[in-house]
Amino acid sequence: MATRKPKKTTSKTRQSGRTPKSKSSVPPPDAPPRIARVAKGKKPQYFSDPAIDKLLWMTVTLMEELSVTRDRLDTVERLLTKKRVLKATEVDLWRPDPKSAVQRDVRRKAFVDRMMRAVHAELDEVLRGNHRGAEDDPVAAVES
Amino acid sequence: MKGFKQHALLPTPQHDEQARQDFVGALRGHLSGRVMPGNYQLFERRVAPRFAAEHGRPPGEEQEIRDWMTREPYYQFWSALQRRSQELLWESVIDPTEREWSELIQRARGGKSTKASKRGSLRLNPSLTVPRYHAAADIHLQPGGYHTDFTSDDIAAGAIYDKGINLYMGGALGSENDLMGNTLLAYLRERHPSHQPKRILDLGCAIGNSTVVWARAFPKAEVHGIDIGAPVLRYAHARAEALGAAVHFSQQNAEGTDFADESFDLVISHIVLHETSKSALVRILAECRRLLKPGGLMLHLEIPRGRTPIEKFMHNWESYNNNETFSRYMTRIDLPAEARKAGFAADEISLEEFVPKMDVAQMNYTQHFFWKILVGHKHGAA
Repeated sequence: MATRKPKKTTSKTRQSGRTPKSKSSVPPPDAPPRIARVAKGKKPQYFSDPAIDKLLWMTVTLMEELSVTRDRLDTVERLLTKKRVLKATEVDLWRPDPKSAVQRDVRRKAFVDRMMRAVHAELDEVLRGNHRGAEDDPVAAVES
Repeated sequence: MKGFKQHALLPTPQHDEQARQDFVGALRGHLSGRVMPGNYQLFERRVAPRFAAEHGRPPGEEQEIRDWMTREPYYQFWSALQRRSQELLWESVIDPTEREWSELIQRARGGKSTKASKRGSLRLNPSLTVPRYHAAADIHLQPGGYHTDFTSDDIAAGAIYDKGINLYMGGALGSENDLMGNTLLAYLRERHPSHQPKRILDLGCAIGNSTVVWARAFPKAEVHGIDIGAPVLRYAHARAEALGAAVHFSQQNAEGTDFADESFDLVISHIVLHETSKSALVRILAECRRLLKPGGLMLHLEIPRGRTPIEKFMHNWESYNNNETFSRYMTRIDLPAEARKAGFAADEISLEEFVPKMDVAQMNYTQHFFWKILVGHKHGAA
């Protein structure tokens, strides 16, 4: 990477670039160049368990996308208000009718269930482990 | 961020790209304003007393503080969040840059939209070897660093750096990222008011954000900027032309340039020395002395590295977590002694602290800020 030199190709084709980070997945020769997204260098570990590092990494990424989504929703509401599709307070004062309330309730519960699966999984494993027969062990199943 | 001047070489973020940059700004503002100071409180209230109880003395060395602080969950969380915010910072700038990449390159090449009358120049050297201290790890976690060309005639590293450092300091670097240039210029005007340079060299100029300040301040001077990175220099040249400043950029290593002996009366750098290496530092200072005319001035603006052990530890977060590898050595280095090794006489060298009358709003690792300036005043007629 250090001695990477600009290659002489025309601006229109721009086929020379290849992100130096993606050694494992080399793009096809006609793929457009990409700018690297990962910095070269040692990645520190902050917590005793690297899983915590990964979880926090993911959490901040989720924070960002939630912030972006709220901004986008705000933009949409403001545009709709400006174009007189919505009144300024219409979203805040809106209440679902009984049918849509039920639909939203189902979707919301499913979302909570999905998010909480990580918590349930631990107990499930303990409980299932008590009753598990040898035939439930996939490794044992394929080794027989 | 607030008041950042949009120019022809910067991409215009779309809605969600802007929202990501805004989030990064909010997160980093919270981390520097609300979370970072807690590390000092944690140290004073918990870590230092416990250390003292165990050892019968306060922690002395920065390394002792490191051993204890890195075990503290509060510090671990701040560090992990600070690191992630830095990665997100670059990602949020890379996306719009990549989307407008080909247009930005066209504009940098001096397409039809740009005036034909060039003020400055650009001289690249494709055979220049990028020094190991830049090639080994991407400084500040900017993917590809200052030097990687991802395509031909690339300027991406420059565009990414320009907006990136604006976000990094929460806009505190000024509308044209000119705070460092203005600071060093203020120092010169305050402490050496009669110095009127005719030829100025800016070392490690990157996108020329400081170099342009000097070109404007001394319009009759011939101003040069050098860096090891081709993409930042292409960007620097196009940016300076777009801003109407005359700067001659060339791709050179400051450890050994092709300029003639005694050809500059002002050699400067802006927070560059701590991105080099032990041996490169001495070579750069020796090169400065070679290039200076008798009576010429060398001014290196440097980031302070803290006074107390805990401040030093906090400043060195960048070294261990943000690929500023050499900066941990800079904490211990005696800069005037290095300058003497490089050939300066003892009475030619001084290390000064300078607090300009400027507002530095957001500090990532400390709440007490001052600049350090390594000054070399070569003997001879001024």
